Amino acid sequence: MAKEGFGIKQIAVTAVTAGLCLPLALFAIILVPIPGLPAASGFWIPAGFYFVMTLWFGVWGALGGHIATTIAMGYFFGYTLHIWVDGGLGDFIAPLVALVIFKALKANPELKTQRDYVVWVVSVMIASLVCGLWVQTVHLLFGVITWPFWWIGVLTYFIGDTMAIVTVGTPLLKALTAYVKQSPMYIWK
Amino acid sequence: MKRTYFLYVEENSPLYKLHPSLKIFLLLFFNIEALLLDSPYMLWGGIILTILLFKVAKIPLSRLGKFLAFAIIITQAIMFSYLLGSSIPGNIVYWHLPWGTYVTDVTLLHVFTMVGRFMLMLVGSTLVLSVLTDTDIIYGLVFLRVPYSIALTISLAFRFASIFLDDYLKVRDAMVLRGTSFDKGNIFQRARKYVNLAIPLMVMAIRRMLELTYVLEVKGTRLKGKRTFYREYKMKPYEKALAILLLATPALTLTMKMGLITFILPGVLAQ
Repeated sequence: MAKEGFGIKQIAVTAVTAGLCLPLALFAIILVPIPGLPAASGFWIPAGFYFVMTLWFGVWGALGGHIATTIAMGYFFGYTLHIWVDGGLGDFIAPLVALVIFKALKANPELKTQRDYVVWVVSVMIASLVCGLWVQTVHLLFGVITWPFWWIGVLTYFIGDTMAIVTVGTPLLKALTAYVKQSPMYIWK
Repeated sequence: MKRTYFLYVEENSPLYKLHPSLKIFLLLFFNIEALLLDSPYMLWGGIILTILLFKVAKIPLSRLGKFLAFAIIITQAIMFSYLLGSSIPGNIVYWHLPWGTYVTDVTLLHVFTMVGRFMLMLVGSTLVLSVLTDTDIIYGLVFLRVPYSIALTISLAFRFASIFLDDYLKVRDAMVLRGTSFDKGNIFQRARKYVNLAIPLMVMAIRRMLELTYVLEVKGTRLKGKRTFYREYKMKPYEKALAILLLATPALTLTMKMGLITFILPGVLAQ
């Protein structure tokens, strides 16, 4: 991974990812809400985008997802401080977990082999579970949900995020990685 | 009329004319104050006062109507969670549920409080966002000593959100004109159509990302070192007083919570 500080390119990646994911986060919450869990969605569409952005552009893609989630859920749904700690940080950690697994197992984001597909799906599942546990535990500690809804939250988060990321992210990786490779921000050179 | 993130507002609106850093203070104020307040009376009183502020700031109240769907989604989530999944002791038990939880008078107070807390944040944030422009974010955050790079990133994120919303509608319309029906088919078929929409949207995002990099480079944007700005905002005396009030009120609320019953959730005393 190229060792670059926070510069123009990183601002562009972060801002565009955040701008892209912000309206998608709102759509996801409105289209597939989960009873009992505020600002949650059963099909977290933006995750598919910021996971892919993180695999292509590194930590700045994850930061964009973090900003989008924080703004979308925070400013439009209240709970700003809580949501920053909760969904915002959770959505920052999750794609980074997937990136670390992808890097450690030396998989190819172009998904050229069956092994690449397996690594992609497993990394998404692990990342979604880590994020689900984080988010619902913070919800519980802030008193927004009650204990019986904790495991429902973790389960729906795990299923909803995994489904959305695999459904949206797989065609994006498959179709666009070759195109994105030409950009100077791509981290797998 | 002046364009903000959300709508066109009158140029002489007192909130629009406010110092940019005060608008950000006000946004934080609504969210922090709502978190600190426990009393449903205070929360709902705050909501009524904020709605009155819409009138003072000359912002159409119809703006709030657009958030009705969001409000309903959050309210149902809070109600489900508390009514079906909590066991909060109280004076009167209304229902015992088969899975061991129950609903008391204090449970209802908790629901009323949580909904009030959320509504105060929503109404307050909407009020501030109605008068906030992209330059306000940069000037406001820089005034508060936040690094320029972070201020620029947040401002661009807001700007790109509205651009991508337009992009989404364009791509969707183009697909509809070519015969795609987003309403037909089962949930998986519909999801697949939306996935097809994601690819052109992502291509547009990558292009915009590259364009943004070139534009910022060509404009000679420097992220380090001292910057000069096109506009200079100075705080007027009444704005300084308002800033002190906005900073002091949360501290005052915390102090009041220790001594005054009206600031506390009433049911807590009954336990």
